[in-house]
Amino acid sequence: MKRALAFLSLVVIFAALLMALSPEYGIKFGLGGEDWKKYRYTDDYYIKHGVEEVGGMNIVTDIVFDYRGYDTLGEATVLFTAIAGAVALLRPWRREKHE
Amino acid sequence: MTWLPFIIIIPLFGAFSMPIVSLLKGKAKEIWATIISLATLIVGIEVFREVWTGGTIVYALGSETPFGKANFPIRIVWEVDKFGAIMVLIITFVSFLAILYSIEYMKHDTGLEKYYTLILILELGMLGIAITGDIFNFYVFLEIMSIASYALVAFRNDTWEGIEAGIKYMFVGSLASSFVLLGIALLYGQYGTLTIGYLALKMSQNPTIVAKVALALFLGGLLFKSGAAPVHMWLADAHPAAPSSISAMLSGLVIKIGGIYAIARVVFSMFLPAVNLATVGWIVIIFACITLIVGNAMAVVQEDMKRLLAYSSVGQIGYILLGLGIGMVAYGSRVGEIALAGAIYHTVNHAIMKALLFLVAGAVLHELGTRNLNELSGLARTMPKTTFAFLIGAAAIVGMPPLNGFASKWLIYESSALFNPIIGAIAIIGTAFCTAAYIRVLFTFFGRPSEKVMKAKDPGIAMLLPMMILVIAIIGMGLFPWQISDKFMIPAARTLWDIANYVASLMGGG
Repeated sequence: MKRALAFLSLVVIFAALLMALSPEYGIKFGLGGEDWKKYRYTDDYYIKHGVEEVGGMNIVTDIVFDYRGYDTLGEATVLFTAIAGAVALLRPWRREKHE
Repeated sequence: MTWLPFIIIIPLFGAFSMPIVSLLKGKAKEIWATIISLATLIVGIEVFREVWTGGTIVYALGSETPFGKANFPIRIVWEVDKFGAIMVLIITFVSFLAILYSIEYMKHDTGLEKYYTLILILELGMLGIAITGDIFNFYVFLEIMSIASYALVAFRNDTWEGIEAGIKYMFVGSLASSFVLLGIALLYGQYGTLTIGYLALKMSQNPTIVAKVALALFLGGLLFKSGAAPVHMWLADAHPAAPSSISAMLSGLVIKIGGIYAIARVVFSMFLPAVNLATVGWIVIIFACITLIVGNAMAVVQEDMKRLLAYSSVGQIGYILLGLGIGMVAYGSRVGEIALAGAIYHTVNHAIMKALLFLVAGAVLHELGTRNLNELSGLARTMPKTTFAFLIGAAAIVGMPPLNGFASKWLIYESSALFNPIIGAIAIIGTAFCTAAYIRVLFTFFGRPSEKVMKAKDPGIAMLLPMMILVIAIIGMGLFPWQISDKFMIPAARTLWDIANYVASLMGGG
């Protein structure tokens, strides 16, 4: 019963996502021309002004280390946390003193 | 010149320098963590004061304004309004007390340098969520907070329940986070920006079905993080299994920031123009009513002290969600304002009193080594100070008039009764269960001392001090309930509603 409901709700979520991703109702794919300016204005800005504002020729690194550098700092923290967590959980068990 | 960046810089510096500092032997890591969290508390107080005197702070990272040469934000922004400032203050306060408490509580454990690193990162993640104005950045800090809390729940890796709870929390928690990420991806595909305020602007011009699907995914993921009823099972396992200082932070802060604050921020500051607020509000109210009854009713039947407190947290999240839901349905009316102010007030109050109760449970566990309530009878005889702290915490959470829990619960009762009497009745039934659960514990504590309890004594100063500070906070806030609600909670509720101002302060330049 529970499992059937879970599958049913997965199907509903999947259908809703398909609808949101269909160009008729929702997100369009392969944007070009007018649509590029309308939906990807931020990307357009990065491409046009990235070189003069940041100075790097690689737009992805311009974005990841300058425009959105704070997110990269956060990602580095995620990695650090994951390592600290893994090391903390894989440490040897504590021993009783009176053994 | 604003103090705001230091709220991230200081804990980040503390966490990343902890492996080096812990090369010094002795108590260096404990002292370092305490200093860092105290400094964060001072900055938190200063940020709170700044927002309260100067209004919403908008801070662009890497430039004077978030705009560059465009007329839309291209950089990450922080936007701290009054609600965010309240959350910053309560996070830094409770985290400082939890770290202070850990000095004595965790001294029998190994791997403490990782423990203090992770607890500082947990604080950092929550602060990042509270101040951010960028939806992808919100996700990054949600992940920082979640990963640190997975590791801390399973920190005692020699106990079976720690590992079990950690695995359970991690599997379902990552699924919930991925829902949030999927929602962000959909929004970016449709609207082409990641700034919360600008997304709201774009959505008001062009509300689409994508926005509704994204909101559903957000709500699903964030209700999980807050421990609402059908998905609260991780919470009832994670809180008892974690070290008590971590339970205090998880129950007092993580479920509020990752759940309640995030839902409020996403719904009010982002989706308000694009969706019908009444529909969203009723969905939240339905979950709130289920959560209220399930959480409080399950608390009554527990034998394990920390599991009882965990279920009680679920029940209290129900009250907060109820206030939030009424605040959405009754948008713009007096009733909704009271409900939302009550929800914010109860968030703060519950963080303080649940932190206190978990610290007390930790002290009992530390002294006696058992959490089974049947073995704890007569604790008042041998641990009077701890029992007194529990008495205050329990009376506050039930909502006894001289303490702080009364005013916040009263605001929620009043608004729910005015809004819909049936919902008011459900809230009262929840409180009846809650009262029954805590009175049962108190009867045990004041009963005839059992043999096991006779050799117990109160914990040392490093554990008692945080508990006493929280007791003073509860009593002190209880003396001025309506002043606090009029001066802080109602203005915070109004700024949360005021999306025009949220967008205007972003677009007006920081």
